Amino acid sequence: MRDPQIAPPRLHVWFAVFGVAFLTIFSWVFFREQGAEWRAAQRRFESIEASVKNPHQLAQSARVGGIRQFWLPDLDRIDRCSTCHLGIDDPAFASVSQPFTAHPGTWLTTHPVERLGCTICHDGQGDATTYRDAAHRPIAFVERPMRPVETIEANCGRCHRSLDPPDAPALAAGRRLMRDSGCVSCHAIPGFEGITFSGPALDSFGYKVRPAWLGAWLAKPKGYLPQSKMGNFRLSAQEIDGLEPFLLSQRAQAPLDSTGVDWKKADTDAGRALFGQLRCVSCHMVNGRGGDMGPELTRIGDKVGREWLFSFLKDPLRSQPNTTMLQYRLSDTQLRDLTAFLLDEYRTSGGTPDATPRAYEDPQAVAAGRATFVQRGCTSCHHIAGMPDPGRIGPNLAGVADRDPAQLQYGAAGVRRTTDNYIFLKVLSPDALLQPSLMPTFDFEPGQAARITLALAGLRSTDLPASFVQNRPPVAPYRPAGAFGALVERYRCLSCHSIGGFGGTLSTVPLDRIGSQLQHDYLVGYLLNPGAVRVSVEARMPVFHMLTDEARTIADYASLVFLDDALDAYDARFTPADLQKGQDLYSRLGCVGCHQIGTNGGYVGPDLSNSQRRLRPGWVAAWLRSPERYKPGTLQPDYGLSAADARALTAYVCSLSAGGAARSGAPK
Amino acid sequence: MAHTSRGAVVAWLTGVGRSVSRIGWPRTDKDRAAAMISSFFLHIHSAKVNRHSLEAKYTLGLGLISAVLFGVLTVTGLALMFYYVPYPREAYRSMKDLQFVVTFGIVLRNMHRWAAHALVAVVFLHMCRVFLTGAYKAPREFNWVIGVGLLLLTLGLSFTGYLLPWDQLSYWAITVGTNIAAYAPVVGERLKFLLLAGHTIGPLTLLRFYVLHCVVLPLGVLALVALHIWRVRKDGLSGAEPAREVVEEVSGAFPPSTKTYGLMALTKRPSASVEASDPADEVFAWPHLLYRELLVALGVIIALHLASLVFMAPLEEIADPTRTPNPAKAPWYFLGLQELVHYSALIGGVIVPTLVVVALVALPYVDRRPGGTGRWFAPERLVANTIFAAFVLATVVLTIVGTLFRGPNWSWVWPW
Repeated sequence: MRDPQIAPPRLHVWFAVFGVAFLTIFSWVFFREQGAEWRAAQRRFESIEASVKNPHQLAQSARVGGIRQFWLPDLDRIDRCSTCHLGIDDPAFASVSQPFTAHPGTWLTTHPVERLGCTICHDGQGDATTYRDAAHRPIAFVERPMRPVETIEANCGRCHRSLDPPDAPALAAGRRLMRDSGCVSCHAIPGFEGITFSGPALDSFGYKVRPAWLGAWLAKPKGYLPQSKMGNFRLSAQEIDGLEPFLLSQRAQAPLDSTGVDWKKADTDAGRALFGQLRCVSCHMVNGRGGDMGPELTRIGDKVGREWLFSFLKDPLRSQPNTTMLQYRLSDTQLRDLTAFLLDEYRTSGGTPDATPRAYEDPQAVAAGRATFVQRGCTSCHHIAGMPDPGRIGPNLAGVADRDPAQLQYGAAGVRRTTDNYIFLKVLSPDALLQPSLMPTFDFEPGQAARITLALAGLRSTDLPASFVQNRPPVAPYRPAGAFGALVERYRCLSCHSIGGFGGTLSTVPLDRIGSQLQHDYLVGYLLNPGAVRVSVEARMPVFHMLTDEARTIADYASLVFLDDALDAYDARFTPADLQKGQDLYSRLGCVGCHQIGTNGGYVGPDLSNSQRRLRPGWVAAWLRSPERYKPGTLQPDYGLSAADARALTAYVCSLSAGGAARSGAPK
Repeated sequence: MAHTSRGAVVAWLTGVGRSVSRIGWPRTDKDRAAAMISSFFLHIHSAKVNRHSLEAKYTLGLGLISAVLFGVLTVTGLALMFYYVPYPREAYRSMKDLQFVVTFGIVLRNMHRWAAHALVAVVFLHMCRVFLTGAYKAPREFNWVIGVGLLLLTLGLSFTGYLLPWDQLSYWAITVGTNIAAYAPVVGERLKFLLLAGHTIGPLTLLRFYVLHCVVLPLGVLALVALHIWRVRKDGLSGAEPAREVVEEVSGAFPPSTKTYGLMALTKRPSASVEASDPADEVFAWPHLLYRELLVALGVIIALHLASLVFMAPLEEIADPTRTPNPAKAPWYFLGLQELVHYSALIGGVIVPTLVVVALVALPYVDRRPGGTGRWFAPERLVANTIFAAFVLATVVLTIVGTLFRGPNWSWVWPW
């Protein structure tokens, strides 16, 4: 029997190797933890801090050390960005390179980081403590990498829901584009509640247009009218063949009778004079100049029939109850001249009357056109009595920014698959995404599409707490009754002016406190013959040819209702000393640079020559003290006047009268 | 004076040491053998072992590796429990915190993750080894059954742990996995409801899986492992058989020709494995077994550290029930089943898994032919080994196909 004790295993070498390996790897783990990116950044920061700050500041600054984070329970997130971005709230680091640069602008003041953190604006992974994992650049499994500064305004829109969010011009432009393009007609869009959009009612369309014009319009609206708000529906020839007879057969209401009008006597020169006098170009563009509230008139002669235009000018509300067009008080002769001028001056074709009307009574074609009309959602914008209303035919855009980028179509290879890119491409050319789309092509420029994308990219389904959202202020429709209401309706005051935030924005003068701003008699005179208060403004108040009684009714109402009691309580008993001091202030502040008195002064601000009769002192004083409050964005400087100074200046301005009273005249 | 005081300190320290370990550091084979028996931690071993059982190429150390992995999983798992909150949003956030702010957090999570995957694989390989060496035969039939139970518990542990990170990967893997369970006739839907605490995965599912993963299943594993090793100890390490003949013992009598240690001989069973028929094959467990064990444990821990430094445990976006990935895949060890379910829900979801478990449990009682034990690929077990190899091959191929070759809508894709 040999020795049962076999020699002990020769494992020492193995133990040595494994032991050393274990120690090595364990120290690797340890040193990796110690050498973490953020620790290295903090060490670097300390050395930079010493060079940026003076010893006194340095003694006061808190030592950094460890993870720094903002815990935001309301938002259910933790942002650790300041673990590395250590100089973010310290102006001393304005010119230090990243990651220690101070935040530009005053954003951190207006957006307290203790409440909002970082990622609510910037996106990215706030939990992370490395450059890569924070998703400064897109990485896998992080849905929202940091937004580059070019598109960051999209995130402004998550909280700021107004149409004109402050300090986000691109976002505001996108939202205005959406409002003006009528997106709300087909899509429910959060933030756009209560905003409506409509095209002309088509009940009597058969009387309105020349049949020859219609086919080309349907095929390509922007071919006739580059500013057309109607998109290109990419209609097939077959669809157009149905729509034409259907639309031309809409003859619910004949135009107003114009049989007594002798068209042969039409005076186009008188029409031309009227066109200028009525200030049509405040709203309508001709040959590239004018406003854009109404349709461009450059080729109106190609489009509409004579009888219809006459009738429309005489009573626009009759066939278009929602039009922004006002009803001038003109005689039939004036209307005839204006109609003749428009049709004769603004046309391209020879003006030959239309050839025989197409067979738009063919019931089969009409029925096909009607079906197309409903199917393509034309009813969303165009009213025809008795047509079924399918509601909004486009998808609800709430949460559109959260749609799964992997599930979307992009139309072409090489597009990075992000929801932003999808929205951009869809807005730019809805038909190019390899999916059937009923959405019309609006021919947006890429820049416009990008802005709309910004506006849509803030529409996430994971909504922020209500306390973070600043909604668009609710606007109550203003519809006065009675004689004044009828005049507001007729002269379409609210197409341009607003009351309580409701109405148009063409005029910079809201009517809310007009009774406290202007003298009653001045207002009557102005309504009867609106002169230019500001020489430099292009869009002018139309000359309504209003009756004196009407003007008085409006002025009475305004003086009784459109008031600001705080302004009317002003004590307007000025002393001569006030007056003298005010005159001195007027010259010292350089008011003359913008305002005219007599023939002396600038053209930017309103002419003050007639202020005594025009303005009310309470308003002048309040305006001088805080112009920005009454008209955001005004050019009038805020001099920070004391109440006494404002009073003196008011005393002087309100003493000025065109008659040349003793104290008036330009200061030396 | 100094000498005396030094002697007093040494004596005092020796006293403290003796209070911990009664025999001190053993310096002779006899002391070491005594230590194996008297030490609570070491008495799991016999004092002597058959050297054939120690050959690495025989056991491949797979059972030991499983035990070490389970130990690592317990330690890292306990550490992770200090940071984990079993509620959806917080669960996902704790994964992020482990990665970004907890000191050594990501290493802990990676180690736990990779050890868990490794355990599933190693347990399966261990089963293959036991079969292919015929080691499940008498007297070890029942230990094989315990082993099957451990395999199932391991799968259960891995599956319940899979949900805990609460990311897209885990959410949809568990959805797919529990849907496979729902294919069982009659009880399937109820089983799924019981597992999920509802019809879809929600906060209660997470809590349920958390308790299963951290308490119920580990306790089950612990109990079965204890039993498993106890039986190994009682039934003897396999591998010694070729070198000895089975000797029937008389109850209560000491067999004349063998050495006995402790109580090990007081059995009515065929002799415990402590003794070899050829005493020359016997070696002391310390150092021959103990050192090898330590070495394997060290190797496993090193490998896990390496893996944890190089490979990150996956973590996708937070679970989103409204966003189904395509394809949604179960954990990899169930992808063979999912591949079968793709062909037939009944076959893949019910028949095959039931048959496999029943066959595994019944195996040692069906195959009672003695012989062919203790050797790899014994020629007399050719039929059994061939059948088993086919089963293993099918499992592996199906799993690989399901893992690598299946794309959106479970269509065939090439992994490159």
